[in-house]
Amino acid sequence: MSLLSVKELHKAFSGKTILESISFDLEAHQTLAILGRSGCGKTTLLKMIAGLLEGTGEIQLAGKFVHPLPPQQRGIVYLYQEALLFPHLNVFENIAFGLRLRKMQEAELREKVENMLENLGLTDQIRKMPSQLSGGQKQRVAFGRAFIIEPRLLLLDEPFGNLDVETRSNMQDFFKNMAQKQQTTAILVTHDLKEAVRMGDQLGYMEAGQLHIYNHLNDFIADPRTGMQDEIAFWQSI
Amino acid sequence: MKQRLIIVLGSIFALPFAYMVLLSVAKEWFFPALWPGEITDFHWKQLDGTMFWAIGLSVGIAFFIGVISTLAGFLSAYFLARHPWRRWCLVLAYLPYAFSPVIYAHCIKYFFLVSDLAGQVSGVILAQFILCYPFAFLLFYRHFDDDLNAMEDLSATLGAGQRAAFLRVILPISKEALLLCFAQTFLISWFEYGLSSVIGLGQVRTLTVMAYQYIGASNQYLAAVTACLICFPPLLLLWLNQRFVFRSATVQPENN
Repeated sequence: MSLLSVKELHKAFSGKTILESISFDLEAHQTLAILGRSGCGKTTLLKMIAGLLEGTGEIQLAGKFVHPLPPQQRGIVYLYQEALLFPHLNVFENIAFGLRLRKMQEAELREKVENMLENLGLTDQIRKMPSQLSGGQKQRVAFGRAFIIEPRLLLLDEPFGNLDVETRSNMQDFFKNMAQKQQTTAILVTHDLKEAVRMGDQLGYMEAGQLHIYNHLNDFIADPRTGMQDEIAFWQSI
Repeated sequence: MKQRLIIVLGSIFALPFAYMVLLSVAKEWFFPALWPGEITDFHWKQLDGTMFWAIGLSVGIAFFIGVISTLAGFLSAYFLARHPWRRWCLVLAYLPYAFSPVIYAHCIKYFFLVSDLAGQVSGVILAQFILCYPFAFLLFYRHFDDDLNAMEDLSATLGAGQRAAFLRVILPISKEALLLCFAQTFLISWFEYGLSSVIGLGQVRTLTVMAYQYIGASNQYLAAVTACLICFPPLLLLWLNQRFVFRSATVQPENN
């Protein structure tokens, strides 16, 4: 049974259609990677699922309709391209943010945050403020802050876009490991072909507000719109 | 060379203040004398109930204006941060600055006369608020940028309702901007003369109004004493800003 079921999502801004009748299902513990160019509606789709934008259509999460709920009640975390750490809180407090909102007991909270910091490899950065961290460390904290509340669905809006090639690759590995460990269900949108193929258990392509989901990697490769054939041809020509 | 330049520039800035202090303690000082003949505390001893009332009134008005303008500007900018008419509000906020305060005061004086607010403390407060509120809004307009909106959205998906996001994210991040805005609007009100004089009809005697009245009465010594008093709160605010606002760039809420 699918964890997420999206039916007929539609969104228009000032008469211009941004999302056109988008429907798809996503199995639990899977990552759906959606490839698409800038302005194709990827961010709008994620924001609507997160409840940050209004529109028409139905969103069902674990069998429950969540589209009438405000973002804080959906159990869906949306991660931006920037880490957006809270600048007034240190690393520990940034990660503990969601747990404090849930009024978790201090001892349990401390244990969970310390475990997460260990997973993130940031135990020596616990008291540092966001301004004292590197880009990769900031992104790790941002992931830790999201993973620690065990969201039912994680939405990633080009979260590695601002990182250099090496850090980006490390962060992709880190995310895959964490997602596997925590059995997270996620949707990742990107305009990076390699990233989409590497991160997604399931692949999708978005163009002009329409989403196409592929059942197999071969279907994704066969579709000339994805640019996969050109990419393969390029590497074979070298 | 650099040190000399600093001394020259420092002297240029310090000279008017030194002259003002000297004038306030001079028994008599007439042109062409370069130095007051006799130093005395005579003029300072003339500080009477009227002057203390003016100090209290000026502090009270400036403090009140600082608080309400900062709060109103902050909340307006916050609630309008995602409004489609936000840019029009920005244009409106610039309008009070299209005129000089005295001309602006004369433009709106009629409404204060018919509403019986002219010559009243409440009228002066309202007039100053009309000037300071747009200033505060302009200051916070850029503060609520895309990053801060995104941070609020992110905290919502992490489980924060609007109130929690406001109290735990927006407010702490805005602490420095709030203090800065309070200091600025306090000073605008504190140094404000044009509106206070025209709308207050000379009956609401703030320190600046009194200083001008002493100048008008050719009492340069008491005008200097009043000017010294006017300078004190800004210097105090400057020191407080340096000490507590700009030095503490970040806050660590818990000792982890």
